[in-house]
Amino acid sequence: MTLAIDHISSRPLIRVDEVSKIYHQGKPAEVRALQNISLEIFAGEVVALSGPSGSGKSTLLSLIGCMSRPTQGTIYLQERRVSRLPEAFLARIRRETYGFVFQQYHLLRDVSVLDNLLFPLYPAAMPMKTMRERALVLLETFSLTDKEKTKVRRLSGGEQQRVALARALMADPPIIIADEPTAHLDAELTAELLTMLTELHAEGRTIIIATHDPVVHQSSLISRRVALRHGQLADAENSRGGQ
Amino acid sequence: MILHPGILALLFSSTLILLLLLIAGGVALRIVRHWNSASGSATQLQLERQTWLVATLLKYVIGFQIITLFLLLFTLDEIHPLFVGAMCATGSLNANLVGWLVLLIKIGLVFAGAMWLALNYLDQRTEDTPLVRMKYLLLLLLIPLVALDLWLQWEYFSGLRPQMITSCCGSLFSAEGEGVISTLAGLPVKQGVPRFFAVVVLYAVLLLANLRWRAVVLRNLLFVAAVLLFFASLAALVSFLSLYIYQLPSHQCPFDMLQGHYYYIGYPIYLGLFMATLFALLPGLCRPLATTNSLQQELERIEPVWLRLALFGLMLFLVSSCWQMVFGPLQLLGS
Amino acid sequence: MILNLKLLEYSLSSLWRRKEKNLALVSVYALVIATLGSVLLLTHALKTEALMTLTAAPEIVVQRTLGGRHELIPIAYARTISEFPGVGRVTPRVWGYYYDSLVKANLTLIGIEGYHEQLELLEGRFPQAPDECVIGAGVADAFGPQIGDFLVLEDSSKRRSEFRVSGIFRSASNLLTNDLVVVQEAALREFFAMPAELATDLTVQVYNSREVGTIAKKISYLLPDSRPITRDELLHTYDSLFNWRSGMMLAVFVSALMAFLILAWDRATGISAEERREIGILKALGWETSHVLGAKLREALLLSLTAFMAGLLLAWWHVFVLGAPLLMPLLKGWSVLFPEFDLPPVVDLYQLAVLGCVTIIPYLACTLIPAWKAASSDPDDVMRG
Repeated sequence: MTLAIDHISSRPLIRVDEVSKIYHQGKPAEVRALQNISLEIFAGEVVALSGPSGSGKSTLLSLIGCMSRPTQGTIYLQERRVSRLPEAFLARIRRETYGFVFQQYHLLRDVSVLDNLLFPLYPAAMPMKTMRERALVLLETFSLTDKEKTKVRRLSGGEQQRVALARALMADPPIIIADEPTAHLDAELTAELLTMLTELHAEGRTIIIATHDPVVHQSSLISRRVALRHGQLADAENSRGGQ
Repeated sequence: MILHPGILALLFSSTLILLLLLIAGGVALRIVRHWNSASGSATQLQLERQTWLVATLLKYVIGFQIITLFLLLFTLDEIHPLFVGAMCATGSLNANLVGWLVLLIKIGLVFAGAMWLALNYLDQRTEDTPLVRMKYLLLLLLIPLVALDLWLQWEYFSGLRPQMITSCCGSLFSAEGEGVISTLAGLPVKQGVPRFFAVVVLYAVLLLANLRWRAVVLRNLLFVAAVLLFFASLAALVSFLSLYIYQLPSHQCPFDMLQGHYYYIGYPIYLGLFMATLFALLPGLCRPLATTNSLQQELERIEPVWLRLALFGLMLFLVSSCWQMVFGPLQLLGS
Repeated sequence: MILNLKLLEYSLSSLWRRKEKNLALVSVYALVIATLGSVLLLTHALKTEALMTLTAAPEIVVQRTLGGRHELIPIAYARTISEFPGVGRVTPRVWGYYYDSLVKANLTLIGIEGYHEQLELLEGRFPQAPDECVIGAGVADAFGPQIGDFLVLEDSSKRRSEFRVSGIFRSASNLLTNDLVVVQEAALREFFAMPAELATDLTVQVYNSREVGTIAKKISYLLPDSRPITRDELLHTYDSLFNWRSGMMLAVFVSALMAFLILAWDRATGISAEERREIGILKALGWETSHVLGAKLREALLLSLTAFMAGLLLAWWHVFVLGAPLLMPLLKGWSVLFPEFDLPPVVDLYQLAVLGCVTIIPYLACTLIPAWKAASSDPDDVMRG
């Protein structure tokens, strides 16, 4: 599944075309989270989305990550129109194509580390044995082998962050989506995370990070920076990129 | 009215089934009215999620319907001592005019529900779900059937009086009886056996042909053959297969074989027959509906699975029903 | 297939993580099932017991009626009946009831001639002298005499009669012999002051069971003041009596069940915040609505099956080990004497099917909509905080 960097083609991996997202449409609480966004992301890129909170970063990530569907406009993933697919198909894309790292990690707190890696992939057609083997390899990579049976609740912040990353890699996804991954980390852990992301990028994965952490922004890892303001692109120049 | 625990359980479950279906019907109405797959609105999203509710409700309804079908047969068997002349479930059914109608409707509902689920499965596997409107309109048609089922059960059970004199399987299915059932069942074994096996062979040949070729005509022929097989098999069961199963020259009850003293042989028999009929009906039924590319693709993918299931059903049915005929000591045909 | 197992595993894990809450639910649910189960098991056991009694009964019993009431029957009738073709032995029976005001119990007194093959003796022998008797286990318990002791009864003219107990009954069915006192026929005639040419009723043996109806008709035609009762009629009466009773009880308990279901509904709708969060995360990471729904419904199924098993065991223990102390007064009603008798521990699949239908089906139906509600949360809730 992994798409290598040197295969950056002229076709974008993800194409967001004139997309708007409106919450509570037609009601008094109507929120225009995104307006007419167009964006292309190519395989092998590391894209940083920046902008103040409420600028629509998370909404854009959830649209790209197939967690929700746009109110208007079209999204293409590897040339496939995904913006109008039924939810079941979107869920399948999520578990096969994307690895997610959330702001609060969003781990299952009362569940062991191993099960945290396994449960999200239960619907996949993968046999249990393969899943387990893969989880154990990942735990070793992230030096979590001795915590395999520990409940997430009992882990330190750094360990939780590593579990979250390991979980994102369970299905060996070509695209990693990270939403404010450093929001709750100190300088040391932030550096550690950046190192890990650099490794993932070196493996050929496309990475999309939403962040307003300057450390991440100034990292050499980032190949393109896209700024959002009030649900619109602040700098239309950067919406294409790639070449 | 007989206040029998089984009867109460049946009426109770049927009411519940109707309630579940009414909920599903309410959602179905909304979906038929507001469905717009091109829209990205919140309403559409909500409707999409409700389709899962309806699908699950329907699965439960079918599951419960199957359970109550067996409960009905058990109850009929259980209450037969209350009627003079009844020696098995057949006798209880004859106690009242609507008895057979209840059974018929219940079987029909199981088939209709299973077909709906197959259609739903097919539709949900596609990205554009082209069958949504039709599916939910069909669902609405199921509601009166289930209501009728409940009402007929009420009529049947409330009309039952202990000590009623009924006729049992021996006389109902005997050659002297009148009506379609006895004419079918009263067929001499010498004619009945070759006819039944002719239908089985026809069905099997068509099934294999369908597995090999994709022509629509074959699907349609198989559909007809499946209907034929279903009724021919029921006739065969009461007219001669039951005699072999019970090893008695006069006992022709199609329900007793579900009981423990016949080693529950009825379950594989009826399961096999149900599978052979349903899965052979499905390709012929779905072909005309597969109007879009996506549906056709899905259908091509699932058809071989259905046909193999039908083949398995046929084997199961034949092996479990004809076992005694081939290996049992009772001989009806002079050798 | 793999998916089914994985979802099942997840359901188990989910149930286990909330074990206190689920244990409480299973306990209440099991209690409801145990109550309903006790009713069904008890009525079924009583019915089986009564049927066992009746299979030993003669094909036809002929009584005489006078003014619509039961009257002693002339023994001469026996000869008339035994001349019908197809009729085997016709036996005049001498028996009656005896109420003991001290013990406050009803006894059935039966007179016999010669050896009685239907009944097995627990110990001792049949009466061989006019002052000997054989008694049922219930009588022995209520009056206290053992073999060799005397049973003291007052006869029709309030004179004391003493019978030496020569044996105590054992029978496959306790109902049959529990309140029985058997003495020699001549002794009983004297005790009841019954004329020699009359009997209480006649039992008629019929060779072919298909002819029972015809023979009964012939009897009432030729002897207009007689009332033939066939065994089948007795069976019907018993059957409808027990069905009616258990049906009534069932109706009452179904309402209790409904109350419980409302409780279950309440619980299932009130999914905890942690559970909601968990479902949200799984959905964001690629679970479909149908997967969450499947897992939740499996939880409901596991819960109800566990409760069913537990409830059934509880009902079994209550009915067959303890003798259904909580239900006996409600159900039996018609017998005062039986302080206790062993119920034959019979459970058939049909009882289980009925019990399952009225308990598991409604529970599953009730958890469906809450499960769906939980399953249809927005996957991007997680992303938006």
